[in-house]
Amino acid sequence: MQGLGALIQLGLPLLLLVVAYFTGSFVERRHYASIRRREQRARRLPVLAFRDVPPGWEVQEAALVTGTVVISLDHFKRFLANLRNLVGGRVVAYESLLDRARREAILRLQESAFEAGFRAVVNLRLEGFQVAGQGEGRGTAAVEVVAYGTGLRLARAPGGPEA
Amino acid sequence: MILTNTENVPGRKIVEFFGVVTGSTVRAKHIGKDILAGLKNIVGGELKGYTELLQEARTEATERMVAQAKSVGANAVVNVRFATSSIAAGAAELFAYGTAVRVE
Amino acid sequence: MQWSPRAPRDDVNVSRTHPLSEAASLVLGIGFALFALVAVAWGTLEIAARWLPYDVESKLFGGLRPAVGGESHDTRPHDDAEARRVAVQALLDRLSSHWPERPYALRVEIVGAREPNAAAFPGGAVLVTDGLLRQVRSENELSFVLAHEVGHFRNRDHLRRLGRSTLVGLALAAIGFGDASAAATSQPFLLLAGRGFDRAEESDADRFALELVVAEYGHGAGAADFFRGLPDAEAGLGVRVAGWVSTHPVSEARIEALEAFARERGFAMQGSLAPLPEALAHDRAEP
Repeated sequence: MQGLGALIQLGLPLLLLVVAYFTGSFVERRHYASIRRREQRARRLPVLAFRDVPPGWEVQEAALVTGTVVISLDHFKRFLANLRNLVGGRVVAYESLLDRARREAILRLQESAFEAGFRAVVNLRLEGFQVAGQGEGRGTAAVEVVAYGTGLRLARAPGGPEA
Repeated sequence: MILTNTENVPGRKIVEFFGVVTGSTVRAKHIGKDILAGLKNIVGGELKGYTELLQEARTEATERMVAQAKSVGANAVVNVRFATSSIAAGAAELFAYGTAVRVE
Repeated sequence: MQWSPRAPRDDVNVSRTHPLSEAASLVLGIGFALFALVAVAWGTLEIAARWLPYDVESKLFGGLRPAVGGESHDTRPHDDAEARRVAVQALLDRLSSHWPERPYALRVEIVGAREPNAAAFPGGAVLVTDGLLRQVRSENELSFVLAHEVGHFRNRDHLRRLGRSTLVGLALAAIGFGDASAAATSQPFLLLAGRGFDRAEESDADRFALELVVAEYGHGAGAADFFRGLPDAEAGLGVRVAGWVSTHPVSEARIEALEAFARERGFAMQGSLAPLPEALAHDRAEP
């Protein structure tokens, strides 16, 4: 009976890790596929970290646009990150989370800007916030990334090879 | 690769721009340095271990941003910004972004 | 100024390290460091357990009332339970009187668990389960089990066990399994800690127990009965506790070792069995 109890108490977390690894990497692969597909389309809408409007752009209207996303780490990567916290160094487990979050936020910014009729965004700013797990470091690690900038309605599409 | 935190590269003209490039890295504090930092917190002063750690991480983030800029054929990144965000207890993200451009 | 939309390399911000290889190196690295740390602490505890003065042990653990899982299956009135405790206590006192150097009084606690088991805890508490009282068929058999626990006290194995289980619990808590507060008392962690005592310690305690029993009854008859009863009890649970979890040497081997020890010392292993004390008599296992 003790053996069974020990098996459950130790085996369950391990099983959870294995399940989390597979579901987590599935979700991540799917998200990356979606990000790459949408980035192809969204590239037509320039997003710039310039404060000023590039010379030659005829702006008809300008307004604040934002894109936000909150993404959580899967249980397996959280376990990795907790282990990494013990020894320090580069936290590989968090990199893809942040990469996805940031690209998703910029994509949403572009998509909402496009829907509002804007054809360019200038003065892009990115902010990241930790939205959960402030406690012991073993809680949920989730980040919010906010992308914001000024959407521009232009008289004609930005000059470029295809314009 | 020219990096600036101004809108343009002084003395040179931007001829082409490619969009935003980003670089980031996440670092966890070292347990030993953490203890030292805890002691140092009592008396105040520079946390040398952390200065080095964050500087090294910021350099890596910048290098990653530059790698992105190179991949689009840029020779400068303008309006570079650095951001630090804490994503979990004990880990910090160092983040750099800017606009990849080609200058004359 | 010309706008040239181009896709930057999108793989620079994510390391190429595969999560599984990161996991492997972290788990192995931390595991090794933890192992080394535990090994050093383990060795220190072994020495500390041997040299900890008895009065310090009593002071530290004297008030310890081990909480053990399993609700009581005893439906009889409280007085009766107390009578059983007193009967077992009297038996324990008689046995430990043959160990004159006994540093502190040993105290019996009966816990309501079905598994036949007994345990020695720091500070002098001897835990006896309901299941054990139900299984034993003679006073001699119960005496041997109690004397075995007295043997653990003499060899100070109980201190080592506490140290080990706490260590393993803490080590597990450090990497995120379980939490440190529950570590010392949690059953699975005890199991992992080699279930407390190792085989050499068990054999030592067995030999000491036989000496006490022979001193009390003049012979060692019935002493090994508990081990003879075990396989049935294990089968009854539906779980065959295999050798790797059980640190208690396999029953037959223990019986043989006891008999060899008896021959060596010239102990008689035949004799008349004393019946169980009145308060315990009706506790016998139903056939």
